Amino acid sequence: MILIKCPYCGERDQSEFANGGEAHVVRPKNPESLSDKDWGEYVFYRNNPKGIFYERWVHSHGCKKWFNVVRNTSTDQILKVYKVNEKRPDLTEFENTLKSPSGEPSVGSGNFAVKK
Amino acid sequence: MTAINNECPYISKNKINFTFDGKNLPAYEGDTIASALLRNNIRLVGRSFKYHRPRGIYTCGIEEPNALVQILSEHNEPNTRATIKRVYDGMEISSQNRWPSLKFDLGAINNILSPIFSAGFYYKTFMGPKGFWKNIYEPLIRKSAGLGKPPKNFRSKSIHQYHNTDIVIIGGGLSGLITARKFVNTKYKVLLIEQDSFLGGILKNSNKVDSINGISPLEWIKETEELLSDSKNITILKNTLVTTYNFTNHLVALEDKYSGRKIDLKKSELTLHKIRTSLTILSNGHIERFISFRNNDLPGVMLASSFEKYIHRYGVIPESKPVIFTNNSSTFSLLKSMTSLGYKPEAYIDSRKKDEIETEIKKFLKNNNITSYFDSEVEGCDGNKKVEKITIRNGKNYFKLNSSMLCVSGGFNPDIHLFTQSKGLVKWDKLIASFKPDTSFQRTLTLGSVSGNYNFKKLCDEINQKLSFLKTKKANLEIKCNVTNKFSLRELWETKKKKNSNWSKSFIDLHNDVTINDLKQAITEGFDRIEHLKRYTTNSMGTDQGKISSINSLALVSKLLKKEIAEVGTTTYRPPYAPLSFAAIAGRSTYEFYDPERKTSIHSWHLENNAVFEDVGQWKRPWYFKANNDETMHQAVQRESKMLRQGAGILDGSTLGKIEIKGRDALEFMNLMYTNAFTKMKPMTSRYALMLGEDGMIKDDGIICKISDQHFIATTTSSGAPKVLADMEEYLQTEWPHLQVYLNSITEQFSTFNISGPKTRDIMARVFPHIDFSNEAFPFMTFKNFDYQDTKIRIMRASFTGELGYEIYIPPKYGLELWEKIFSCGKVFNLIPYGTETMHLLRAEKGYIVVGQETDGTVTPLDLNYNWMIGKNKKDFIGKRSLSRPDTARNDRKQLVGLLPINQSDMIEEGQHIVEINKLPNKIKNPIKYLGHVSSSYHSPNLNKSIGLAMIKGGNNLLGQRFFVTVSGNTKNIPVEIVNPVFIDPENKRLTS
Amino acid sequence: MSKIVSISGIQVTQKDFHQIIIRGNGSEKFNNIIEEKTSIKPPSINLEIKYDSNYLFGKNSPDQWSLILTGKKNHNQILNLVSSINVNEDLLASDYSYGQVYFEIHGENKDEFLNKLTHFDLREEKFPKGTMAQTILARVDCSIYNLGNKYLITCNKSFEDYFQKRFKDSANLN
Repeated sequence: MILIKCPYCGERDQSEFANGGEAHVVRPKNPESLSDKDWGEYVFYRNNPKGIFYERWVHSHGCKKWFNVVRNTSTDQILKVYKVNEKRPDLTEFENTLKSPSGEPSVGSGNFAVKK
Repeated sequence: MTAINNECPYISKNKINFTFDGKNLPAYEGDTIASALLRNNIRLVGRSFKYHRPRGIYTCGIEEPNALVQILSEHNEPNTRATIKRVYDGMEISSQNRWPSLKFDLGAINNILSPIFSAGFYYKTFMGPKGFWKNIYEPLIRKSAGLGKPPKNFRSKSIHQYHNTDIVIIGGGLSGLITARKFVNTKYKVLLIEQDSFLGGILKNSNKVDSINGISPLEWIKETEELLSDSKNITILKNTLVTTYNFTNHLVALEDKYSGRKIDLKKSELTLHKIRTSLTILSNGHIERFISFRNNDLPGVMLASSFEKYIHRYGVIPESKPVIFTNNSSTFSLLKSMTSLGYKPEAYIDSRKKDEIETEIKKFLKNNNITSYFDSEVEGCDGNKKVEKITIRNGKNYFKLNSSMLCVSGGFNPDIHLFTQSKGLVKWDKLIASFKPDTSFQRTLTLGSVSGNYNFKKLCDEINQKLSFLKTKKANLEIKCNVTNKFSLRELWETKKKKNSNWSKSFIDLHNDVTINDLKQAITEGFDRIEHLKRYTTNSMGTDQGKISSINSLALVSKLLKKEIAEVGTTTYRPPYAPLSFAAIAGRSTYEFYDPERKTSIHSWHLENNAVFEDVGQWKRPWYFKANNDETMHQAVQRESKMLRQGAGILDGSTLGKIEIKGRDALEFMNLMYTNAFTKMKPMTSRYALMLGEDGMIKDDGIICKISDQHFIATTTSSGAPKVLADMEEYLQTEWPHLQVYLNSITEQFSTFNISGPKTRDIMARVFPHIDFSNEAFPFMTFKNFDYQDTKIRIMRASFTGELGYEIYIPPKYGLELWEKIFSCGKVFNLIPYGTETMHLLRAEKGYIVVGQETDGTVTPLDLNYNWMIGKNKKDFIGKRSLSRPDTARNDRKQLVGLLPINQSDMIEEGQHIVEINKLPNKIKNPIKYLGHVSSSYHSPNLNKSIGLAMIKGGNNLLGQRFFVTVSGNTKNIPVEIVNPVFIDPENKRLTS
Repeated sequence: MSKIVSISGIQVTQKDFHQIIIRGNGSEKFNNIIEEKTSIKPPSINLEIKYDSNYLFGKNSPDQWSLILTGKKNHNQILNLVSSINVNEDLLASDYSYGQVYFEIHGENKDEFLNKLTHFDLREEKFPKGTMAQTILARVDCSIYNLGNKYLITCNKSFEDYFQKRFKDSANLN
């Protein structure tokens, strides 16, 4: 259970939150004008990277507010929390934080708990 | 061979009695099972996992691989570490994994067959023929391999305790105590966690420290404990083991509150502490490792520091004349302990070359006339279920020594388990030949021997320096030691085997019976990655997690692979550090607290009236009401269903979700959330509505009440309520923040009664004499508010049974009283209470769907022929676009139909398949064409036959055709006809008149 | 008022209150409407509570307030207050009076006691007097109000039996 900082209530235990998948996927304004393929991509396709990920969380057992989080999925480290109406932070902001606990490669878990 | 009692301040003088394998034995209060057994000269305590080899007590702590026992007097608790568990008067213990007895174990034949039990044995052997695994191999393995027997059924009273704190210190040994003293009376909230029942660690476990600031270690521990206890910001938890170190400094620790006492069944025996801290200080010390040699598993072989711990911590010298075998300087304090008590080891074997050994040790050996061999090693040992003879190699010479105990030290490993769980990086340290913490990943500090610092003189400096960023007092202690200042070691992992026999084995993992040969064989077979090797050989996969041997195996593997140890790497350390029972993890969330229970305001009435309950989400809902004790469920449901259609029935519908929706843009919002069009709907009317996901599939249904274009009340299914509210909030916050709409859940603010049946109007007129319930004044799908006592109620005309019906919404405080009033008025009309099962039967007769029964996340409104519910002229609503996707618009999707068995007495089962053939072949060789499944099936008392609803491919075009429904446990299928799903009142006359 | 738990260091009592949940944007107009209808100025800082012996007014989230009225009142009085607020289309007020239950936790061991049931950080610096929080207690959603010498906990009425049992169970097991 990690600690997540709700932008409205402060730091709370993960058990109070629910994850809402990838952030910044906007619902198309005119769904009828979309091709089946484009609509299908909106409904069914999401990114799931290893490393830095922009994702949505909701404080479902607290204030019930949605917010966005930048999280490193390989370390669980939360790099930034921002409100839904705030601008998506640039990836370059997190360049220096790009690390995994054991310097893992981008693919596979490997076994690198030992410092080289 | 004999053990000697020694004076010890940590053990009480009170004598107690316990039994081991039925034999009554004396012990002292405070003894562990292991110390008590050693005191009684019992060294054989169990049989090994795979080969059933005799095993004894190897260590004196959590790292024990062998001495696992079953506690008969505690619900038959298995796999208890004898080196941790304390005895109490009347405790009953038995050994494990032996039959018929510990001394004569038939399973030991596995040892003779051992060549076939080598690495990867299970993977290679139990491959076929088909069916053998289930019927022959698995039962055989389960019988012959393994540990203890499962415990008896009992309800634990384990509890959970959460902590939020500034600092956690793990380990109350010398470094933990020095650190804790720095926090006395500071602003920091500190939790000090110690796994033993006494603080002090090395100070009480050994003779290594002579004095601190001029006072004895014992006095210093006492002084420190008083100081810490008096400080209000510090809490000490003893008998508490930290098992887990999660991200964001979240720790889990298990406290045994009945250590050394008989469990009181009325009280809580375990506490699982769940701790969130800002900083974790690891001062959890080190664990000694062994050396592999021939038969290094014989009872009588013990780690040297454990031997020393038995002397000082438990007051028992396990053997007066042991042989000591070491590759490092740490055994010096054991030598001193023995001689100061007037005993002398049989011999001292040091694998280091003479010039590598500290002068003070050599001098001490000489002055005390101890037989010593340098540059020598133990080749192996022999004996009948115990050590009797020890073979020593000195250069090219071999000779034998007689002793019943062999103390081994292969060096010390910093206990990095928790540090690596925290995702910290470790580094190989050549001096100590082990991994030590290097880079922390979280706010974690390591202090003392866990950080690889084995030098007591430098301890205060290390602690002061590492904690300098906090406002604490400076630690300044003068520590006098009985050990050499500089720890020195010569790497030694295994000794060369001279004698070869089936019985002669060098073990690398005692718990899982893995030998050095198994490692070699696995590498030969290509398992050269450490994670693969571990799983293939099961090395370090026992309940001890290879605490005394895993580093040894890494070293051996690196030698075999001719690589550096750092390159081979470690396997991943995962929680828990040591086993913890499921009872502790579950805490109070069992039995009546398994899931929180929700009850309506009518619950007490339901209980008094013989309701049988069904769980709907967390709600307790009446399933049916028993008219008398002998009435079966089928009889009750048939009776309730029949009486409702003849008279009237009432259902407690308080569990239905209710959401109040209000705001300037409420109408637009509702038009977007639901498939239906609400624009032309008149105020104070209601409408059955569907909610879809963006994929076009039905998510929930309910009735929408429109108060005005700015104000709606939506009802949802009982279990769908939280999700529907959450989804509405999500869209408002994330997709449509421009819509000015607010939502409140009002599920709990109303008791809801659904009353229906032909006599309903008469009953309502008696309950509410001032209200006009005529069809003209109160038409179908309208609602009104009324004053009632000092509150207000809302009545809606709606029905889920197909009969005339009303829904009454009343604040819960007034609910039960009104419910009872309705019954007193309804008595003459044969009003009955009914439950969810009758509700389901009645709605099936009417062809109404239940979300989650007819639908399963793959059903669109089109599949149900609910096209009339879709606001086609609306530009957009959630899921609309998906309804025209090629797959959703197909004609041959599964569609809702009714089923009637041709033979009226046939009863079809829910969930069965619909097929084209009347009989299934005895052996199904080719797939059978599947048309769909039965979603609902009931015997209808009103039609006097069985009816069903089904989802069938292209069902709309199959009306009137005959198919077959499969039967469980029978190959003969039931013939059915496909019909319209509405069985009763298709014209809706009953509803609307 | 009824006593649920009364042992050394912990007292849990249950009380009857009236409650209104108000949703709105917290603007000046909003404040004026609420003050006019209730004679209390709503708290403006998120999670802040205002209280005296007659009421307790908490800001639960950026757009939600909870007004608890502690005095004895006729239910229609409350419903009329709700309707009068709802006249304004920018606000939503819902009566929560009989759909919630109210527990007060007193005693010097109240933090340790509650931390058997919730992970919530009750330390003064994280949860100061005069603030409230929505969190989970005994795996159920609830609101906690810190009134200094006591906590007020409210949750859905359907959990009343379950909560009473959990409180008693926790008090009995140490």
